[in-house]
Amino acid sequence: MPSEQKYTGPMERIDANRWRIPKSYKPGMLVDGIIYADDRLIEAITSDKSPEQVANVACLPGIVRASLAMPDIHWGYGFCIGGVAATDPEQGGVISPGGVGYDINCGVRLIRTNLVYKDVRDEIGKLVNTLFDTVPCGVGKGGVIKFSKADLRKLMNDGSAYVVKRGYGWDSDVEATEAHGRIDGADPETLSDTALDRGKDQCGTLGSGNHFLEVQVVEKVDDPKVAAAMGLIEGNITVMIHSGSRGLGYQVCEDALKELQHVPGKYGISLPDKQLVCAPVHSYEGQKYLKAMRAAANFAWCNRQIMTHLAREAFHDVFGVPAERLGMNLVYDVAHNIAKMEPYDVDGKTCQLCVHRKGATRAFPAGHPELPERYRHIGQPVLVPGDMGRASYVLVGLQGSMEQTFGSSCHGAGRRMSRGAAIRASKGRNIKRELAERGIVARARGRTGLEEEQPDAYKDVVQVVDVLHNAGISRRVAKLRPVGVIKG
Amino acid sequence: MINAMEPSYELFDHTADMGVRVWAETLSGLIKPAAEGLYATIGELAAGVDATHLHFDQSGEDRAVLLRDFLSHLLLLFERDHRRLTDLDDVVFSDCRLMVDAATGLVDAERSVFHREVKAVTYHELEIREIAGGFEATFIVDI
Repeated sequence: MPSEQKYTGPMERIDANRWRIPKSYKPGMLVDGIIYADDRLIEAITSDKSPEQVANVACLPGIVRASLAMPDIHWGYGFCIGGVAATDPEQGGVISPGGVGYDINCGVRLIRTNLVYKDVRDEIGKLVNTLFDTVPCGVGKGGVIKFSKADLRKLMNDGSAYVVKRGYGWDSDVEATEAHGRIDGADPETLSDTALDRGKDQCGTLGSGNHFLEVQVVEKVDDPKVAAAMGLIEGNITVMIHSGSRGLGYQVCEDALKELQHVPGKYGISLPDKQLVCAPVHSYEGQKYLKAMRAAANFAWCNRQIMTHLAREAFHDVFGVPAERLGMNLVYDVAHNIAKMEPYDVDGKTCQLCVHRKGATRAFPAGHPELPERYRHIGQPVLVPGDMGRASYVLVGLQGSMEQTFGSSCHGAGRRMSRGAAIRASKGRNIKRELAERGIVARARGRTGLEEEQPDAYKDVVQVVDVLHNAGISRRVAKLRPVGVIKG
Repeated sequence: MINAMEPSYELFDHTADMGVRVWAETLSGLIKPAAEGLYATIGELAAGVDATHLHFDQSGEDRAVLLRDFLSHLLLLFERDHRRLTDLDDVVFSDCRLMVDAATGLVDAERSVFHREVKAVTYHELEIREIAGGFEATFIVDI
């Protein structure tokens, strides 16, 4: 990374897992920036300008407590990836589309199975090929299920339940999805025709970039009781799907950023970065974006729901046993690019805050009323994809998340290499073969997909989850090892 | 450094995304290499023979934002209609207006190579600046 792209501002250690950028660092900062990292991770984090973005977010009106970043933080646009910011609408707090990102409700879901590794070991090539052919992925690849614009509007209003009702899933899937796969307050009428055009044949498609579908094996269980409640058993096979709201969501963000260009000036808000454009939550402009964002979020849950259905069909085809008998239940589905109104205690008073999670996962603790009944006694599953060669993690939310991070944890390992650097590092290597040598069968639609997403391009997810485990934000439950990878 | 008199582009690293830097002698000259740079982030896009006219005309206060808006429009045409820019007929690019008349062709998937999906052309580090002998534009695409 060239030196001019390094962060050179202040970084004060708070404790073994946290670092502070004091609000005195730059004019306009209303609160401190706090980054969750240990000694090893902070070095990588300061090698790009993501801490500068943490400081910029601290300038947003109405921000409460601190501008936060999880240990998988890396350089984004406007907000860093891995950023969490809560604003108080009653104190002029804003909503910023950049704090959600283009891929609204990009998220992860995990499906468990009764299959054990030896059941799939000899079939893994066939399974990966069948999944690759069944779940549309890659640039310009449309979905197998088409929706009219009228259907799309219903889908965005009703969320996951709409596609389940049409046969693409089970009722229990809805129960195991964050917010039951539907955020209240969506208004599909606020979306542009362009957004609907982009979305009409993309529901049920994976996309490309870092989106993936993985077949995994539960390699290690750290918390047997909690893992059992989630249906996770050592040696069993799981399926993880990472995707979001596709072109529809990108267009909602694009439209909002354009419409909001002059809005900060209208409300007397001065910003350090154009990509941070925002509007007061209570303003007409803020409400319009929130209604559209919620519609796109509901679309994303439908997208992952349809892919779940397609993955179950692929397993049925390969193993000749219906998905129900394979026990392919949804463990959980979490959003990691979203803004939600959530109640938090601020100075002894309960306030409804607008919590932006840009590459951060909700991590509610046991007892939280928003959790499904089956998880209320253990806490929310937190799904943390790592990289395609090493591991992913299932964690569980802890009370510390409510006290420190507005109920948030990390969303992945976080990139440590740019795409270009990853391609350069792949010269003379065959990533597909390297993965095969580790027992992982991988297929990618894009020519450079495996190179750009190679394991070395990411931080070690173990280091990332350890920081949040040690900070009391989320606890390790199970480690998942990839055995089959589909990339767009 | 690429000769600023010769319209050209280069891709540069940005942690999870990609950056494009473009040079040309004139503001109008930035349009073609900027479009080529955008397409290069997606892959190697071969166009078919059918041609459709594209007319883009937008006014604004920031020329970098005008360029971004045009590139966003090209991205939309690619994703929604599977079309790419093939020929530029006329370009008027000033500090407050960008007008482009151009031809687009259907992307021939058989002859194209796709690397990755681009979600958007962002405002992040978006810039057009004057350099010796011309202009330099920078934009970041979200992958």
